[in-house]
Amino acid sequence: MAGKAKVAFVQLSSCWGCHQSLLDLHEKLLDVIPLLDIKYWVAAVDFKVGDLKKLPNGGLDAVFIEGLCRTEEDVHLLKLSREKAKALVAFGSCSCFGGVPSIANLFPKSELLERKYLKAETVIDRNTIPSENLPEITNFVPRNDQIVKADAYLPGCPPTSQEIANVVLALLSGKPIEHSIKSVCDECERKKEEKNVKKFQRDFEGKPDPEKCLVNQGYLCMGAGTRAGCGAQCPNANHPCKGCNGPPEGVTDQAAKLIGAFGGIADMEPQKLLEVFRDPAGQLYKFTYASSPLSKLRSVNKGEK
Amino acid sequence: MNGGKEKTEGFEPYVLGLVCNWCTYAGADMAGTSRIQYPPNLRLIRVMCTSRLDPTFVIRGLELGADGVLVSGCHPGDCHYVNGNYKTERRIHLLKKLIQQAGLEPERIRLEWISASEGSKLAEVMKDYVEVLKKIGPNPLRNTKGKTHVDDEDLFGKEVK
Repeated sequence: MAGKAKVAFVQLSSCWGCHQSLLDLHEKLLDVIPLLDIKYWVAAVDFKVGDLKKLPNGGLDAVFIEGLCRTEEDVHLLKLSREKAKALVAFGSCSCFGGVPSIANLFPKSELLERKYLKAETVIDRNTIPSENLPEITNFVPRNDQIVKADAYLPGCPPTSQEIANVVLALLSGKPIEHSIKSVCDECERKKEEKNVKKFQRDFEGKPDPEKCLVNQGYLCMGAGTRAGCGAQCPNANHPCKGCNGPPEGVTDQAAKLIGAFGGIADMEPQKLLEVFRDPAGQLYKFTYASSPLSKLRSVNKGEK
Repeated sequence: MNGGKEKTEGFEPYVLGLVCNWCTYAGADMAGTSRIQYPPNLRLIRVMCTSRLDPTFVIRGLELGADGVLVSGCHPGDCHYVNGNYKTERRIHLLKKLIQQAGLEPERIRLEWISASEGSKLAEVMKDYVEVLKKIGPNPLRNTKGKTHVDDEDLFGKEVK
């Protein structure tokens, strides 16, 4: 690519964590930043949406979208970014699969607003749901690529700095972005044994052995149903995988895949297993509910036609 | 897939049967050769063992518009592969809870044990299941089949409860 690459980092509803991860590149930033001509990056510099609008259509080489569409403003920004971008990168698990906030799709919007504004213990004025001068809330959280086309995906909550650097450098050199087709277990260095788990425990219970596989010890580690690429940093740091990298190649429904894994290795009565999974949707869809087929239940056309 | 039978009136549920080779498939064969009458709503897919079923198959069946998914295998202790049906039992219990949280009726997934000699039980189960499914109505996911794009009407239109 001749000259500097024009890029933008756009934020929809999100926690800004992916941008923190980008800044965590530290010294490597010095390799990356000189190659970029940043046109829009509200996390770091005081840009306004007007700055993005002023650019010609297709004028940006890459736009990194962080976050998900929960408000009208997000949808607008996403569509605007698509117009300006030659390549649109879904940046982080929220952008790729809906992320943690998409678990809200388990409930209708009215129920969510009621819980938040009319029933919340910390709210004093429990009579009104604010709506004036605010962008409208979407009925449900879609995946960003259901609204506009995404050219590349960079999952993770947040993606590791190394992954971000790889993708940015690949985009700059025009190379295809390669995702691992393996699962987190392949990258995990723990000692795996035949699994026949008689008792599961929560993350905070007991003290995990740093050498043995966490599932062998009865921890709910989601590595078996999660795409590799993160270097298995959580299990290698003695903490069960949460599944933030999304489902492996060819799988759309991460929870069903994990149910297959845990149902096969748990040596206990089904009722006891249900006690372990008190909230299967929350535990197993933690980052990917918007990409599950079940999430379509919130779509408007339900029951009509 | 729904053969144009999607109206609630005279609604005929579409039941996807995922059954094991050694027991229920043979049982269905038995029901056929014994000329036992049962509702024609069942479409069978044979697998070697119900534990071969990835739970994603069940979700995929529901996504494509099946009103109910019947998973049926050998009785506990009878599995041709020693313990496959125990694994299936645990998975199906979890799956039922999962789809209930998502807003689908847990009855849309049903687990039964039907042996090779129980052709009549298959008929009974199907009669009962079709009744249950007629009561709870068509699978709402039918209407979103093949839907990959979300537009403004979906996001800001009248909300579905």
